[in-house]
Amino acid sequence: MTILYGEDQQAIATESRRVLHARVSKDDLLPLLEVTGKFHEGFWTTAKEQGWTALALPEEYGGLALGLVEMGLIAHQVGRSLGGAPFLTSSFGAAKAIELYGSGEQKARWLPGLASGETIGAVAFASGPDPLPARPAVAFADGHLNGQASAVSGGLAADVAIVLADRAGTPTLAIVDLAGVPRTAIGSFDNSRLLADLTFAATAAETLVDGEAARDAALHILALQAVVTAHEQTGGAEALMEIARDYALTRRAFGQPIGAFQSIKHRIAELYGLVELARANCIHAAASEGEAGFIAAAAAARLSATEAYDTASRDCVQIHGGIGVTWEIGLHLHMRRARSLALEQGSSFFWEDVLVDRLAGETA
Amino acid sequence: MSDIEDYRAGAAAWCESMAPAFGKAARAGLGVEEDLALARRYQKAKFDAGFAGINWPTDLGGQGLGHIEKITFEAEEMKHGFPNVYFGISLGMPVPVLMQFGSDRAFVKERVLKALQGEEIWCQLFSEPSGGTDLAGLRTRAETDGNGWKINGQKVWTSWAQYSDYGVIVVRTDPTVAKHKGLTYFWVDMKAPGVTVRPIKLAGGDSHVNEVFFDDVKISDDHRMSPVGGGFAVALATLMIERYVATDSAGFGPHLDLFVELAKDVTLNGRPAIEDGRIRQQIARNYAMRAGLDSINRRARLMMQAGMTPGPEGSLNKLIAVRSRQKLSELALDLQGTDAFLFDEHLSPKDDWASSWINAPTGRIAGGSDETLLNTIAERILGLPQDHRPDKGVPFNQIPA
Repeated sequence: MTILYGEDQQAIATESRRVLHARVSKDDLLPLLEVTGKFHEGFWTTAKEQGWTALALPEEYGGLALGLVEMGLIAHQVGRSLGGAPFLTSSFGAAKAIELYGSGEQKARWLPGLASGETIGAVAFASGPDPLPARPAVAFADGHLNGQASAVSGGLAADVAIVLADRAGTPTLAIVDLAGVPRTAIGSFDNSRLLADLTFAATAAETLVDGEAARDAALHILALQAVVTAHEQTGGAEALMEIARDYALTRRAFGQPIGAFQSIKHRIAELYGLVELARANCIHAAASEGEAGFIAAAAAARLSATEAYDTASRDCVQIHGGIGVTWEIGLHLHMRRARSLALEQGSSFFWEDVLVDRLAGETA
Repeated sequence: MSDIEDYRAGAAAWCESMAPAFGKAARAGLGVEEDLALARRYQKAKFDAGFAGINWPTDLGGQGLGHIEKITFEAEEMKHGFPNVYFGISLGMPVPVLMQFGSDRAFVKERVLKALQGEEIWCQLFSEPSGGTDLAGLRTRAETDGNGWKINGQKVWTSWAQYSDYGVIVVRTDPTVAKHKGLTYFWVDMKAPGVTVRPIKLAGGDSHVNEVFFDDVKISDDHRMSPVGGGFAVALATLMIERYVATDSAGFGPHLDLFVELAKDVTLNGRPAIEDGRIRQQIARNYAMRAGLDSINRRARLMMQAGMTPGPEGSLNKLIAVRSRQKLSELALDLQGTDAFLFDEHLSPKDDWASSWINAPTGRIAGGSDETLLNTIAERILGLPQDHRPDKGVPFNQIPA
C-alpha cells in the first residue's frame, strides 16, 4: 500500500480534527483526573457518531471496511486532542482478534456491537512488566477462566475482553463476556484510561487461538494496537511541539521572545525531528499491515512515537517554566497521557527486543 | 512496471555492468591521482550512457529528465562505491549556477560539456577563515581594475580545489554597505596567476579540502555572474540547487546490518553482544531512527513522482543521520575492544567503523553544521525568530571585529 495519503484519507484527518477540536477541551479533561471510573462521554459519543468505531471492521458486521491507515489518521487527531477514553484502541484490538481468529458465531455475536460502539472491548495480555507473559496469570481450563488480569485499559467499562491465558503450560487466546465479572478500579495518574483489575472465578470463556500460535496471534493484535497508539502518541507530540512553539513566540524575556534563544529554538527544532520520524514510521507501519515486515515496522513506529511524546512532554513543560507545572494550564494532561500510552501495548523495552530479534534473525 | 521503475532497472543494470571496472574493488589500493584518473573515465562512461546531467537541459548536454530520475540513478549508483566524489561539488552547485547565471552562452555550453564528461572540475569558493556559516561576513575583496576586477583575500575548506580548473566565488565589492549588500559573484580560472591552492590535511588523513589564496588575481568583467552588489542572492540560489539529492539514512557511514553482524560476532561478558540489553537498545533505536528517515525519503520520492513538492521534513536527514552515525561508530569500536585499534585510513567510511568515526565530525560541520540546520528548521519551518544579530544593517566596515 502506498505511503501517500489520498484525498479521502486527508478528509478523514481534517474532519476528525475539526470535530475533536470543537468537542474536547482540557477543561472537560482535568476533572476526570481526580476521580476513577469516569471518561469523556462527549468524546466517545463523537467517536460512535463519526463511525470511528466501525472504521476498520468488515462491512458485513456494520463496519466501514477501511484499515489501519484510517485508524491511524483518527488516532493521530485523538492524540492531539487528548481524547478522553481508551476504547477506540482497546475495542479495535478486541474486534481485530475476533475478526481474525474468531468463529462465524463469535463474529456475529460481538462485531456488530463493537462496530457501532455500543459494545466496548478490552485486551488483557499483560502481566506487570511483561506485555506477553510466557505464563499468563489467568488460567484457562474446561471453558473457564480463573485468576486476575491486571491493569486492563478500558477494563472498568468493557463488555468483552480478549485474554491471554495459560492452559496447562501452553498459551491460549480466549474471549470472555465480562458481564458480571468483578473489577477493581485502579487509581492511576491518568484515570480516564479506566484501568481495572479483572477477577475471573470460573468465568465462562471461549478459545480463539490455542497453543503456540496463540502467542503469535497475541503479538499480532498487540502490534496492530501499537500502530494505532503510535499515531496517537505522534499526535500528542505534534500538539505539544506546536504549543511550545506558540509559547516561545509570545513569551518575552530579556527584551525578546524566548524563541529567539537557541537553547529554546533548538529544543523545539529537535522536537520537530522526533515528531517527523515518528510520523514517517507510523505511516510506513500502517501501510505495511499484512506484509512480511509489519511487526518490525510496528516496533519502529512504537519506539519512535514513545520517544517523541515523552520528550515533547518534558520539553514543552520546561520551555513554559513555572506556568508549565500548574494544574490549570493542563500540560500535565499530556505528560500523563504520554506515560499511559507508553505503558499500554508494551513498553519500549519490549518493542526493542521484538525488533532486534527480527533484525538479528532469531525470531522467537 | 511504471516508467520510473523501468528507469531504475536500466540504471541498476548499467551500474552493475560498470562495477568491475569502476566499483569498490577496482578502486582498492589506488592513490588519489590514480583514483581521480579512474574517476574521469567513469564520468565519461556515465556521460556516454546518458546518466550525466540527468535533470539538466538537453541543449547544454543534459538529459532533460526530472529530479526523480536523478535521485533514482543516484540511489543505484551509491550501491557500488564508484569514484564520483571528485565531481560531487562541481556538478552539484557551481556548474548548475553557471548554467543559470553565466552570460556568455557559448562559453557556458563548452564548460558544461567538459564538466559532464569529467574533463574539467569546478570548485565553490565560499567559506573563509573568518567564517563559514556567516557567509555574508566574508572578507575577500574585489576592486575595480581598469575594465575588470582584482581579487585579494583567502578562501578555505574548498573541496577539490587542487584538482579544479574553475571556481565560483563570492567576494566583497563594497565594504561601505550592510554585509549582504556589498557582495558580487564571479567565476575564476583556478590556473590564473595569483591563485595559490594549499591542501589541508584533515583529521582522518585525507586532504580533499584546501586553502585558496588570491593575490592580485585579475579577471575581466565578463566573469561576473551577478549584478554588482547582488552576489548574495546568487550564492543563496547556489545553496538551494541541490535540494533533490539522494540521501542516506546511514549518514554516509556503515549500514546498520554491519553493526548487527558485529554484535553477533563479538562477546560481552562471555555472551554474544547481540544478547546484551545495552547493545540491543542501540540497535533498536538506530533502526527506528533510520527507518523513519527512509520512510521520509520514500514519501518525498512518491510526492515528486506525483508532481507534488516534498515536505520540509527532508531537511532532517543530514542532521539526524550523521549525528547518530558518529555515536554508533564509537559504539562499534567499543564492541571490538582493543581489536579496534587497527586503523587503515584508506578504508571507506561506508564499510569501516574507525573510518566512519574519525570522519564523522566533518559530516556534522560541512554543508551546514548541526547548529545551523537546527536554526534553519526553527526559523524556516516552525516560524521561530532569528537569533540576535548585532551586525544587522550595520555597514560592513563599521562592524566591530
